[in-house]
Amino acid sequence: MTRRLKLTAQLITLACVAGLLALLVWKLSHQHHAPRVGSVAPAFTLRRLDGPGKVSLASYRGHPVVLNFWASWCNPCKSEAAVLERDWASYHRRGVVFLGVDYHDLASDARRFVSAHALTFPMLQDGSGRVTGRYGIDQVPETYVLNRQGRVVAHLAGPITDSGFAGKFHSALVKAAA
Amino acid sequence: MILRFAAVVATALVLAGPAAACTHPRTSLAYLEGQVMCPTCHTTLDQSDSAAARQIEGFIRQKIAACWTAHRIEAALVANYGQGILAAPSHKGFDLLAWWLPIAGVLAGAVVLAVGVWRWSRRREYEPDEPPDPALDEETERRLDDLLARFD
Repeated sequence: MTRRLKLTAQLITLACVAGLLALLVWKLSHQHHAPRVGSVAPAFTLRRLDGPGKVSLASYRGHPVVLNFWASWCNPCKSEAAVLERDWASYHRRGVVFLGVDYHDLASDARRFVSAHALTFPMLQDGSGRVTGRYGIDQVPETYVLNRQGRVVAHLAGPITDSGFAGKFHSALVKAAA
Repeated sequence: MILRFAAVVATALVLAGPAAACTHPRTSLAYLEGQVMCPTCHTTLDQSDSAAARQIEGFIRQKIAACWTAHRIEAALVANYGQGILAAPSHKGFDLLAWWLPIAGVLAGAVVLAVGVWRWSRRREYEPDEPPDPALDEETERRLDDLLARFD
């Protein structure tokens, strides 16, 4: 009886340890890092912020894509908005698609932001941050430039208005549109 | 003087108006700040000073003023940010595990402790007070027999 009890206790302890180890492995394997330049950008489908329906990244395959992650509570995003709108106006004629991804934000505030800055490129909503997390974003604004094959051409972790990023952004756009 | 009094009454009415309009006890920002997470810093709102947290606090304040219940405000936040915006997991589906696992753990610990104490006390109960004398070895037994034989 004592032996059986001891064996059961050992089995339960082993099962608990195995469960905890499995959780640790699962957590480690599900940690997301920013996709590297040259790798395929993580696929996603998100709700539109500026209208009904959903938009998937895959539907823009064949077009260069600028993915801009922002939020209405983010101050640098305000100064960046006008520059993005201006660039969108000049590059969309060349087939470049701009997508704004609103991150951890109230949809009502985000819509007000879009309206206040007269942004006309498509806006998507990632309230939970699920998609943003897969892009390794932990601050906004951040911008990815993808080529026609959906591969990352550039990752700019900061406002594209920054002196260091402005030139990099435009050369990435030219490279992606080529 | 009359004008000042009228202004005070008007202000009081304006402030008391929305409060009186509520048909249920109004929830508080302090309560909800402990129930809602800051999405960017992963702490509750009361422990965060980030821009995202301040935005949510503003939303909560606005909805409290509009007489929304805590449940309704939480539901609106979940619809916008997902379930992760709440500090406590929901009471359904897989999230139930988060509620029941600690209880099961405590119960299992209590059972293990009880069995251990029971077995320990039983062992003490049957344990003789003094250990039995060890058996005499052959040499001592022989010498003892010799000694006893002298008294015969």
